[in-house]
Amino acid sequence: MAKVLEVTDLRKSFKKGFIPTTVEVLKGVSFSVEPGTITGFLGANGAGKTTTMKCLLGLIYPTDGKMVYFGNRELDSQVKKRIGFLPEHPYFYEYLTGMEFLLFYGGISTSLKRSVLKDRIHDLLKRVDLFHAKDRQLRAYSKGMLQKIGLAQALIHDPEFVILDEPMSGLDPDGRYYLREIIKDTAKRGTAVFFSSHLLNDAETLCQNLVILKNGAVAYEGTTHNLLNKLGIEFEIRYYDQEKLVTEKIERDKANQRLGELIGQKKEIVSFRETVQSLEEAFIDLALKGVK
Amino acid sequence: MKSVWIIAHNTFREIIRDRILYGLIIFALLLIGLSLILGQLSFSEQMRISLDFGFAAIHISAVILSIFIGSTLVFKEIDKKTVMTLLARPITRFQFLIGKALGLVMVIGTVLVGLSAVLLIVLISMGVLVEANFTVGLYGIFLESIVLLSMALMFSTFTRPVMVVSACLGLFLIGHWMGSLEFFAQKSKAQSFIAFERFLSTVIPNLESFNWRSLAIYGDSISTDLLLSASFYSSIWVMIFLVTATLIIWRKDFG
Repeated sequence: MAKVLEVTDLRKSFKKGFIPTTVEVLKGVSFSVEPGTITGFLGANGAGKTTTMKCLLGLIYPTDGKMVYFGNRELDSQVKKRIGFLPEHPYFYEYLTGMEFLLFYGGISTSLKRSVLKDRIHDLLKRVDLFHAKDRQLRAYSKGMLQKIGLAQALIHDPEFVILDEPMSGLDPDGRYYLREIIKDTAKRGTAVFFSSHLLNDAETLCQNLVILKNGAVAYEGTTHNLLNKLGIEFEIRYYDQEKLVTEKIERDKANQRLGELIGQKKEIVSFRETVQSLEEAFIDLALKGVK
Repeated sequence: MKSVWIIAHNTFREIIRDRILYGLIIFALLLIGLSLILGQLSFSEQMRISLDFGFAAIHISAVILSIFIGSTLVFKEIDKKTVMTLLARPITRFQFLIGKALGLVMVIGTVLVGLSAVLLIVLISMGVLVEANFTVGLYGIFLESIVLLSMALMFSTFTRPVMVVSACLGLFLIGHWMGSLEFFAQKSKAQSFIAFERFLSTVIPNLESFNWRSLAIYGDSISTDLLLSASFYSSIWVMIFLVTATLIIWRKDFG
């Protein structure tokens, strides 16, 4: 099956300052998104996640690089009909009611008859638990409700590929739970989900694949499982040294040697076990400390 | 075309739900009411004074509406970042601008019809026989308004509303002085002044071309050719402003 998205050597520079100097935000980003998967897009603040996403949607023009959608297509109106997008901050037309808001985006993105579109909106509003607020203006919505209606507008045209920029930010645990469930459900229906997040627990729970950006370049691309295995496995030895309990963490390839040394020194070994890093620890190693 | 219509309808709804519009309508209604009072001060020219003042009220309202709302329409979309979700959809930047402009044209049309209806009621209540030229005067105001709103829309693609309003008000005044400027240039022997007048008339729309209010007030006839050529002149300027606006935002990064 053709890839939903293939990005090759994406570059973007901006001119900044009174005397313009060129700042290179994206330095040759390459990755791909498989159909029907949830791919997490991680990176520290300023790593270039939002810039990449805006390039993908044609909101920002890349300086160089190639973006291919659905196997062999460039970004055009027909491709955009197959893509949904939720921006980082849910700035929407606050004078519209939930129903009007979805009719507006649905009307732009699909050629469905109004009655069919209305039925779809009703289903979607129920799915995101906002049916009760459909006739309320968006200015009266809470942050969580705005995120949910934003997600609904991203899904209104039943896209094959959804780009979500920080969908969980600012949400309470309840809101995050609901949104996670909606994202899982969306992927189950065959839509590829590509989302950026600062909340690594959510990424760890949701994503089969990860793309990690560091200073405008891809530091990791692959499955979440591989990353945790690749970076995460280490060994922990606990032993008594002059009646004091010592805990030592050792990399996988040095574990046996260190254990041998301790036995040779006749230390009392309490435990020797394999530990797995969380995504948060792996992310810090990879994106912040630069461990490869 | 469907997308343009949907954006236009949404823009119409956005302006209609904004309190600023109602402030402006109340202001216009007060001016029309004042025309009734002023008309009664005169024994012989009651009809003309009321009609003149009524037209002025509608003209001022349409100009304010075009410039002030036109200056914020695109700016608000960019500032509030609603443009992000919109342009991520299958619409071009040209369709986006045309939709915004069309929405405001619909509002101006509605306000003009509403205010003219009020003015008509006032005039009829005064026993004034309103002629067909009344609608021609209104049509001139409408043509001028759409030129001004597309001008405001163009400026708003690269600068802030306060600058847009200043520029548009300046060009509005110059645009209405173009007739006088042309007259003086014809009488003048200074080549530099003639060249300056030619330059201005090339880069600034002559808004006096749409001023048929006095013809409507005095009941003079207006030729169909004049109406058609003014409509064409207005369309050309609207296209120039909208195409320029599109070129400005065509490669713009919405970061």
